[in-house]
Amino acid sequence: MTQTEMLLKRLPNDIGGLDGGPIQRVEHDLEPWEKRCHALADVLDFHKILNTEEKRRGVEALGAEMVGALSYYERWIAAFANILFAKRILSPSELAAKMDEVAARWEAEPRL
Amino acid sequence: MSAHADPHDDHHGHDHPHAEIVHSGRPGYYEIMETAVRELLVERRLIGADEIRRQIEVLDSRTPALGARVVARAWVDPDFKERLLADGRTACEELGISFYDDTGLIVLENTDRVHNLIVCTLCSCYPRPVLGLPPDWYKLKPYRSRAVSEPRAVLAEFGTVIPDDVEIRVSDSTAMVRYLVLPRRPAGTEGWGEEELAALVTRDTMIGVAPVELTIAGAER
Amino acid sequence: MTIIERDERVVSAMGEMPSFEVGARVRISQRHPVGHYRVPLYLRGRDGVIERIIQPAGIDNEEEAYGRNAGSKLHYYRVAFAMAQLWPGYAAASRDSLHIEVFETWLERMGE
Repeated sequence: MTQTEMLLKRLPNDIGGLDGGPIQRVEHDLEPWEKRCHALADVLDFHKILNTEEKRRGVEALGAEMVGALSYYERWIAAFANILFAKRILSPSELAAKMDEVAARWEAEPRL
Repeated sequence: MSAHADPHDDHHGHDHPHAEIVHSGRPGYYEIMETAVRELLVERRLIGADEIRRQIEVLDSRTPALGARVVARAWVDPDFKERLLADGRTACEELGISFYDDTGLIVLENTDRVHNLIVCTLCSCYPRPVLGLPPDWYKLKPYRSRAVSEPRAVLAEFGTVIPDDVEIRVSDSTAMVRYLVLPRRPAGTEGWGEEELAALVTRDTMIGVAPVELTIAGAER
Repeated sequence: MTIIERDERVVSAMGEMPSFEVGARVRISQRHPVGHYRVPLYLRGRDGVIERIIQPAGIDNEEEAYGRNAGSKLHYYRVAFAMAQLWPGYAAASRDSLHIEVFETWLERMGE
C-alpha cells in the first residue's frame, strides 16, 4: 500500500494498536467556552441539526495536521463551522462577520 | 488567567502538550468562533439560548458519584446487580439516572477471573450520563492506542498489576453502547452501608484502570 | 423482540431479526471504504465470536455521519476477539480479549 493510499485508508483518529508512548495522567477542568462547546454539540444533536456521528466525521475531515495541532474542543468548533457551511445553515462570511463583532464587543468591554 | 496545560492528541506520535497562556482573559480564536456560532444559531431560532444553559447544567450534574452509587447498589443488592448486568441503562434509570444522549450501557463485572477495561480508540466515547466528562488522558493518543494492544502495560502505568491467570477484557466503544466497569468490592467492607461503599468508588475504578481500595474517603479522582 | 412461540406464517422484514446469533463465528470484512468508518483497521479481516446482540436495531453510523438520521436499521453486535490473534507478540497462551460493537454490514459468517 502506498503512502498516499494509506492516508485515505487510515483515518487520522484510527490509532488503536499504534505506538503511543507513556501515559501522562493529565486532566484539566473545562474552560467555560469548552463546556459551552460541549453543550452546543449536545443541543445540535438533540435537534439533529448536526448529529454526534457527523461531528466525529467532521473532526476527522479536518485532516491530520489540524487534528494534531488543535485541542479537543477547538477541533469540535472548527468541525461545526465546516458542517454548518456545507448544510448552508451558516455562510463563511456571516460567521466571519459575527466573529469580528464578538471580538470587537470584547475589546469594548473586556471582562474576566 | 492562569496558564493551563492544554494537551491534545497528535496522531503523528509526538504529543506536544501545549501550554496556552491567556493574557487578561482575552478569548482565543476558537472561543470567539464558539460564541459566534452559538449566537448566530440562537438568532436564527435554530437553538434556544436557554437550551445551552440547560445542557451545561445537565453536564455539571453528571459526575462519578452517580456511577459510584450504581456500583454500591450492585454490591449490596444481588437482584439489582443481575438487572444491571442484563441491561445497564434500564437499571441506572431505576436510580433516576437519565441517558440524555440516548446511548445504551453495558456494565462489565470484574471478578477474581476477569478484569475489564474500557477505551475508545477512534474518539472519546465514554459513559457520560453516569460518569460525567472523561479525563484528558482517556482522550489522548497513548491511552487510546495502547489500551487495546498492551492493556497490561497500560494498567501497570496506573499502578495496577493484574495476575497472568486473570483474563483482561478490553472493550473498545464505537457506536451507541457505552461501557461501565463494575469493580470488585474490597474485602473488609462487610456490613457497610451504600453511602460508605459509594465513597470508595472512584472514576478510575469504573474505567477499569484501578481497583477499588479500602481507604478513608479521600482524594477525589 | 423476545419470541416465545414462533409462528411459521410470519415472514420478518429486512432488519427485523438479527442475522447472527450469539456464539456465531464471524470475520470482519477486509475492505477499505473511502470516507468515514467506525471499524478500526486493527480488526479488518480478523475472526471473532458474537458475544451479544445489541437491541434495538440501529442506523448505520457510517451513514449517520453523512446526515442520515433515520431508516435502514440493522443490528450491531458485540464481538469478541482473542488478543493473541490481533497482535503479533501478544502472549500466545493469553486468554485476554478485545470486545467491540460492529454493525452487521461488516460481518461475514465463518464456515464451521
